[in-house]
Amino acid sequence: MSGFDLSGLKASFGGERVLGPLSLRVREGEKVALVGKSGAGKSTLIRLIHEQVGRNSSLVPQDLGLVNALPVFHNVFMGQLDKHSTWYNTLTLIRPFAADRAAVKDLLNDLGLAEKLWIPAASLSGGQRQRVAIARAIYRNESLLLADEPVSALDGPRAHQVMSLLRDRFATSVIALHDVELALQYCNRIVGIQDGLVELDEPSDRLSSSDIMSLY
Amino acid sequence: MALKLIRKFVASSLLFVTAASASAETFVFTAIPDEDETRLVERFRGVADYLSEQLDVDVRYIPVKSYAAAVSAFRNNQVQLAWFGGLSGVQARRLVPGSEAIAQGVEDEAFQTYFIANTSTGIDPAEDLASLEDQLRGKTFTFGSKGSTSGRLMPEFHIRETFEEAPEDFFARVGFSGNHTRTLRLVEAGTYEVGALNFQVWEKELENGNIDTNAVQVIWETPAYPDYQWTIRGDVNERFGDGFKERVKEALLALDDQELLESFPRSGFIPASNEDYEPIRKTAEEIGILD
Amino acid sequence: MLSYPTVRASLIFVAVAVVGLLFADIAITASNPWRDLGNFFLGVVTPNFFSSEGLLTALLRTVAFAFVGVALGSFFGFLLALVYRLLPVRIFCAFIRAIHELFWALIFLQFFGFHPLTGVLAIAIPYSGIFAKVYSEILEEADPEPRRLLPPGTGMIAAFLYARIPDVWDQMRTYTAYRLECGLRSSAILGFVGLPTLGFYLEASFSQGLYSDAGAMLILFYVLIATIPLWVRPKLLPIYILAAPFFLGEGLPIVWGNVERFFTEDIIPAPLRSGEGMAGMVPWLSDLMVNEAMPGIWNTVLLTQIALVATGILALLAFPLISNHFGGPVRRTSGHVFLVIARSTPEYILAYILLQLWGPSMLPAVVALALHNGGIIGHLIGRQTNTLRLRPDAITGFNRYTWELVPRVYRSFLAFLFYRWEIIMRETAILGILGIYTLGFYVDSAIQNIRFDRAMVLILITALLNIGVDALGRYIRRKLALQTMPTC
Repeated sequence: MSGFDLSGLKASFGGERVLGPLSLRVREGEKVALVGKSGAGKSTLIRLIHEQVGRNSSLVPQDLGLVNALPVFHNVFMGQLDKHSTWYNTLTLIRPFAADRAAVKDLLNDLGLAEKLWIPAASLSGGQRQRVAIARAIYRNESLLLADEPVSALDGPRAHQVMSLLRDRFATSVIALHDVELALQYCNRIVGIQDGLVELDEPSDRLSSSDIMSLY
Repeated sequence: MALKLIRKFVASSLLFVTAASASAETFVFTAIPDEDETRLVERFRGVADYLSEQLDVDVRYIPVKSYAAAVSAFRNNQVQLAWFGGLSGVQARRLVPGSEAIAQGVEDEAFQTYFIANTSTGIDPAEDLASLEDQLRGKTFTFGSKGSTSGRLMPEFHIRETFEEAPEDFFARVGFSGNHTRTLRLVEAGTYEVGALNFQVWEKELENGNIDTNAVQVIWETPAYPDYQWTIRGDVNERFGDGFKERVKEALLALDDQELLESFPRSGFIPASNEDYEPIRKTAEEIGILD
Repeated sequence: MLSYPTVRASLIFVAVAVVGLLFADIAITASNPWRDLGNFFLGVVTPNFFSSEGLLTALLRTVAFAFVGVALGSFFGFLLALVYRLLPVRIFCAFIRAIHELFWALIFLQFFGFHPLTGVLAIAIPYSGIFAKVYSEILEEADPEPRRLLPPGTGMIAAFLYARIPDVWDQMRTYTAYRLECGLRSSAILGFVGLPTLGFYLEASFSQGLYSDAGAMLILFYVLIATIPLWVRPKLLPIYILAAPFFLGEGLPIVWGNVERFFTEDIIPAPLRSGEGMAGMVPWLSDLMVNEAMPGIWNTVLLTQIALVATGILALLAFPLISNHFGGPVRRTSGHVFLVIARSTPEYILAYILLQLWGPSMLPAVVALALHNGGIIGHLIGRQTNTLRLRPDAITGFNRYTWELVPRVYRSFLAFLFYRWEIIMRETAILGILGIYTLGFYVDSAIQNIRFDRAMVLILITALLNIGVDALGRYIRRKLALQTMPTC
């Protein structure tokens, strides 16, 4: 049950409508790419969806929300804080349990970050930080992914590696992307946003990058 | 330059304050803060009014927060007369050559300290301190003020002499309550198990019904020693005219306002001299309070 | 987590405090402490504003002493800040600020007596040292660019006034205003040694168990501090500063001969005064060190370390009270009230109250120091968390506290704590006057016995101890790369 059907989505900023009203229905198994100019309302839409579907989703916000003072391990583990008891979380803060350590380490291996496990997030580069946020989302282990530009700071091969990982790990996803090629390659449905409204909504196999470019 | 500015500042603020009060010389006196402040202020304002009437000068009482502050004010010539305890009087007269004890209370010739204990300790009153050794050892104990004769000097002297130990070694905990009333309240409440205080304060509070005798009782009385006295500076005649010292002395000895005397509490004042307090000086030197 | 230097440093301090607890005298000796505490709170909620005729005068004097003291301190502090890079100036400033206001007051009382100057200088002198340090730090941080772009040949003073002061003016003003609040607290406690400020009446009411009178004074004091933004206006400041000297009260006239006597006789060590010479100094000094200085230092350090850790724990527990990451507006408002009260009440007054209620031991001092300092740090950290924006899916409740907030604020928390280390020690020493056996106890005893030579040596030792802890605190902050703004 990782799909959703939302309607009446809208948002205003300073009295001015920046998004909607619009409806979005996503079925289980759909991998949706949100495309469009920056400022079109993609991030706002991701935020609204997250507010509606709540905790049953994994989120990668644009500003990542890492705790700089904590090591990578803890930043990843934070994806499951609401699934453990408070005392478990508190003990983990002081000394992580072996099983969690192994699980996080495996995950970071896939992301090429294994050797950074105990490094504070503050000393990571931008791309590394982004991957830590992705690791947290995967570790959360929900079937719905909501991600806002999750690979913006990653170079080519790394971006592909991460996108395919996200495709494999989440049954359903809604990802805001400015890279049209990535959108077409890793998603099966493209939703184009322009001036806060849905301008385009097609399966990706019916689109080419030039169709999408008209939105920009 | 900093000093200059400060001086200027002082000068200007002095100018302002002296303009208000310097029309005639004011005779200022103080007293050691051995009891609750409201009581002291009441008592000594009465004395100030009385002296002002008798001496025909402005007389002002200033309250202080510690025994040492009373001694310092006297030494610094900011007060010319003071109601001192035995020890503070000795200290003050050592520091101000020419000053003398002029009057003491009738009761001060043979003053006493009472050792009191909270009844929950089960300590019974005794005739001599030595027989209380086992019961007192390891209790908590409070003096009055650090500079008090009846609340510190004499009790400490007797503790050291009888038990051959410093109070802080003999008792589990030693405190300084600040004044006699507070010693009484702290022992009554059980904050300290044992304490030592001025016998006059005890008797007066007892008479006024302010003591819960089920909670606190006297367990030992010290032998008599000289205590409180009025001490005056040697140079008052130069400031207030010939014979001024003698007039102050006469006024004090003639004080017969029962209500005022009751507040001390003393039945009257009698002449005193510096020599009367030699025993106090020796005791203070013995326990190392005086150099 | 143990690999983190900040965590390791914290654990070492906690361990030291725990070991310290084994040696410390921690007890409630009053037989009925809760009844007394209850009576006290009853007094606070039934304040009697009309008990003492002196109450309003005392408030007025408290404000006047604070204004004159802080104004002079700020003036001389600024002058000193201009030459602060000279080592002798830095040492001088470190020294005068290492001696607590109450000690300064006790010193001046011996020769100025109850003259307003005693109170004014007691505030102005240590504050000059603090202002000098902070002003110079602020001036250092001024943007150097404007100065380089001035026309060549611009005079030093003009360059300073045009290119340096404007850049830091706001910061200096904010800090000075903040210091005024500290000045009010300092001014209030000077009453405890006999100056005519609030502490004088507070002590009298308390010692007689007149809790409603004491409650009224405390409430007025809080109102005074909480309303500072309303009545301290830039335009009114010159008027206040000019008027304040006239509201200090008259006190008693100064006899200048006493000043000379104090410096040429009173503070000369007894053996030198009596002509025994250096031979007499050895037994004199060793007696002083063994019987007074050593026990005093031991208790001061012990109490400081326990109070420091207690402060840290309280600050960490208290900051969620005002953090908008937790609770509703009602809880946050009461949290604010609690923290305002905790940090507006000087440690000395808190310790005095608790000592009256719980009986003598180190416990009231630890609680007082932790409440006041923990209140200050908790307030600052809580405010800092309010600027944090967490991800929309951030965890809530206790997990938010341990995972999202504490790790983010821990470094600034430690920075504040180590900054206050020296302040806590300065206060710990002073609390001795109330009967806890720290250095202040022995200083007070020496003064009570009219032995100013001993008192001065002990004050000197206290100052050196403070300077040492200040240096150690700065070293640790530098080692851990912690930065902070000054607090008082």
